[in-house]
Amino acid sequence: MVTLTIDDKQVQVEKDATIYEAAKAAGINIPILCHDKKLKPFGACRMCLVEVEQMKGRLIPACTTPVTEGMIVRSSTPPVEKARKLVLELLLLNHPLDCPVCDKGGDCDLQNLAYDHKVNVNRLNDEKFHHVIDYNNPLIERDQNRCVLCGKCVRICDEIVSRGALTFISRGIETKIGTEFDGPLSCEFCGSCISVCPVGALLARPFKFKSRFWALQKKTSVCGYCGTGCSVTLGVKDNKVLTTVYDENQGFHNGQLCVRGRFGYQFISSDKRLKSPLIRKNGQLVEAGWDEALELVANRLKGAGASAAALATPRMTNEELVLLKQLMTQQVGSANIDHSAGYAHAALTEGLAKSFGVAAAPSSILDIQKSDLLLVIKSDAYETHPVVGFEINLAVKNKGVDLQILSDKRGKLGKLPKANTLLHKPGSEVALLNAIAKVLIDENLAGAAASVTGYAELAAGLAAFAPEQVAAQCGVSADAIKQLARTYAAAEKALIVFPVGLAYPAHTAQLAHAAANLAILAGKLGKEGSGLLVLQEKNNSQGAVDVGFVPGNGGMTAQQILDGCLSGSIKTLLVAGENPVVSYPGQSKVKDALQKVDFLVVADLFLTETAQQADVVLPVCSYAEKEGTYTATDRRVQKVTPAIPAVGQSRTEFTVYGDLIRALGGQAPTTPADAFAQIPAYAGIEYAALADDGAFAPVAVKPALVLPVAAATQVEAGKIALLTGAALYHCGTMSHYGEGTVAACPEGYLELSYADAARLQIADGVEVTVASNEGSITLQARISLRMPEGVAFAPYHFAINQVWSGAVVTSVTVSK
Amino acid sequence: MSEAVAVNQETEMEEPVFDPALAEMVIEKYKDIPGNLMPVLQGIQDEYGYVPKAAVGLVAERLNVYPSQIYGVLTFYAQFHLKPRGKYIIRVCMGTACHVLGAERIRETFFERLGIGHAETSQDRRFTFELVACLGACGMAPLAMVNDETYGKMTVQKVDEIIKEYSSLPL
Repeated sequence: MVTLTIDDKQVQVEKDATIYEAAKAAGINIPILCHDKKLKPFGACRMCLVEVEQMKGRLIPACTTPVTEGMIVRSSTPPVEKARKLVLELLLLNHPLDCPVCDKGGDCDLQNLAYDHKVNVNRLNDEKFHHVIDYNNPLIERDQNRCVLCGKCVRICDEIVSRGALTFISRGIETKIGTEFDGPLSCEFCGSCISVCPVGALLARPFKFKSRFWALQKKTSVCGYCGTGCSVTLGVKDNKVLTTVYDENQGFHNGQLCVRGRFGYQFISSDKRLKSPLIRKNGQLVEAGWDEALELVANRLKGAGASAAALATPRMTNEELVLLKQLMTQQVGSANIDHSAGYAHAALTEGLAKSFGVAAAPSSILDIQKSDLLLVIKSDAYETHPVVGFEINLAVKNKGVDLQILSDKRGKLGKLPKANTLLHKPGSEVALLNAIAKVLIDENLAGAAASVTGYAELAAGLAAFAPEQVAAQCGVSADAIKQLARTYAAAEKALIVFPVGLAYPAHTAQLAHAAANLAILAGKLGKEGSGLLVLQEKNNSQGAVDVGFVPGNGGMTAQQILDGCLSGSIKTLLVAGENPVVSYPGQSKVKDALQKVDFLVVADLFLTETAQQADVVLPVCSYAEKEGTYTATDRRVQKVTPAIPAVGQSRTEFTVYGDLIRALGGQAPTTPADAFAQIPAYAGIEYAALADDGAFAPVAVKPALVLPVAAATQVEAGKIALLTGAALYHCGTMSHYGEGTVAACPEGYLELSYADAARLQIADGVEVTVASNEGSITLQARISLRMPEGVAFAPYHFAINQVWSGAVVTSVTVSK
Repeated sequence: MSEAVAVNQETEMEEPVFDPALAEMVIEKYKDIPGNLMPVLQGIQDEYGYVPKAAVGLVAERLNVYPSQIYGVLTFYAQFHLKPRGKYIIRVCMGTACHVLGAERIRETFFERLGIGHAETSQDRRFTFELVACLGACGMAPLAMVNDETYGKMTVQKVDEIIKEYSSLPL
């Protein structure tokens, strides 16, 4: 610790602190423009100049100068104020004073500083900038005339996002921020640059002229997309969510959001929201009252027993899931309840449940930056959970964490410094992990695990997985496998990360076993920054597992439920928020099943492809309209409260299923707190005490080694291996209704290697027909360096299930 | 006016077809050296006479540097050129001594004869014309240079002679 004096106040801070940080700790406000707590010090704007007794004769930038023992700092003397005023005068010289129409007005650092320093006249005179404003994309407006060249956008895009879309162009007075060859912005549209821009140079276009900043109510919430569980602040006016507001002090991610979180909010107050319940009459869905709709549903469910089933989305709150589970199991008497196609969460409910004795991953997102080595299975961690991707970027770039990637295609993470990617053949991930486990055992790197249950069986069962034996099957050299095993074992703290979800059929219980085995064998569990992290697809995937929204004793899984609809054993199906027609594999089968089932009830925000087939459609609320808890992928339980009232006549599912329970003669918990108290997994957490950062539900690991079965995947001769996965811009199908996400990625595409594209004579951007045994679909071709020869990728959000039947690898032909 | 002169600076000049082999060679040479971006870009400019757009993409991919960052470096340093340059670079000094002795007339005459202004290249890519602040030989003012050749005590007549001389050389 270092002691110094700032404005006659004694301050004690860490020895690597800067003067600015020390002042902040002492409650002394030093003005800044270019500094951001998330970014490395830059020292560009000269607003933070201070006087330091020991460095007389010049003014010292507080944001870049480290503290020293006994330093005497004065933050606001006449020379300091004079210098700051000059800086502001110089900035305002070329900056247009169009504050009345600037969306940043009221939230603008330059405006506030000019006001604070009373810069009401400018002693200098010069022309204003006249740069052309970039309106080339629908999300981010770039007005270089307002830019103060603080470089925060350039730095955040490099340091945190690792995209590097922006840079300083030219030199001297001509300097501006731009892209390569000064072209239009072409990036991930996460909007991080907007969030840190101190002025109105970078603005969110969907929010333009929607509201003055000060007229917005700021409501904190939890993002409703992926399992990362980012905190968000919603900007609300007239009961509509108009934007997301950046708050650098929010969440583990310091307010950092991805394109979905920042620009995907429009679905909440979308005109497409269902306004009232719909009932099918004479083949048409017509508007109806809630009483009529609920009575109809209650009558169908009454005494239905095992002929009824429910599929729920893991976007419902824990409390809503508790109620729906109660409704189905107790009042209706059916154990046929499941979510996300049944297989998508098997890595937890089967895999980790056996390997760790608990259906949850032991590590948290916070472990990423505390680790020594990250073993990332599938580069898609970035696409499925972008903010986790940012954490990985920060860990690798700032903390020097070693990054090892096992993937069937290259990805953005592979471009991080010193990242090592082992590119394996599609569907061979379990064999590859088994080979690594075998090396750990054979080279005596697993000594501590010899007493763990199942060690002998595993050691014997891995006989067929010597690196040399699986090298050809995996397409990875035996040496590379051995090297990776040694590197992994040698790391003091190592964290395995892999995504699960509808689009990742290869990420099964077996993969979870295989990954868990590595962590157990190499002794990586039970340490901070070490262990295993499963990235789950939806915002409450872990919650759905914790609540136990999975088939009960003798109950059917999601796929069996659909089969039951086809065979006639399921007569009433309640689909709560899922959109199987688009997201479950095998579209024709799903459509048939929903067609055949006697009575289909869909509760959703929108008239989705699935809801269009329903007999009754119930309009329900988005996360912004309800109270309850979501459990993020690392068992972080977070509470949301309504930011706006229910849209139209929509009701929360808590009310809907509570009413149905009562209609069927049951007793339902009346408040979310009551329902929350019924979840055994969250026994130690008090609902009322949940604060903004939430609370971690404990994960008690009882490790057991389980021999994973490595299924062989074969690509038909002459065909291309089609992989499914998530696109960066989408999460499930809800993002289809968030205009921002659709603007960034409006339709499906097929990523192809250069070699395949050349062989098939396919040019970038042309429409191609992708055909499998399941069916065919037309997609836009994207030729990409990511793809190895013979492998193609398509995001699953756009009904890729027309050609994909759920197989790990689908053999397809691609033609013009 | 010399007949060999092409007068057209309005239309965007078409870039020659990019042959990545030369750039690959340069990249290969500096691949594993830290801080290699500058020497790679300089090497590429030496090979092509300028830094072609396609080369930026290639360097970005091979060195794992953002294309935007490369563009930032290219626009920061005056030494880099993003458009094809002429075979003969004519530089006219606009420093104080040259200015006093009529550099403006020399500049005007070159412009009249060649039809290209500062930092522009003739359509046939024979000449690139540049104004520079000082060439450091004030005793020879007004001064011009063509590539490494110096021409002191410039006159309007000498401008014509220079253009004639270089126009007759093979491209």
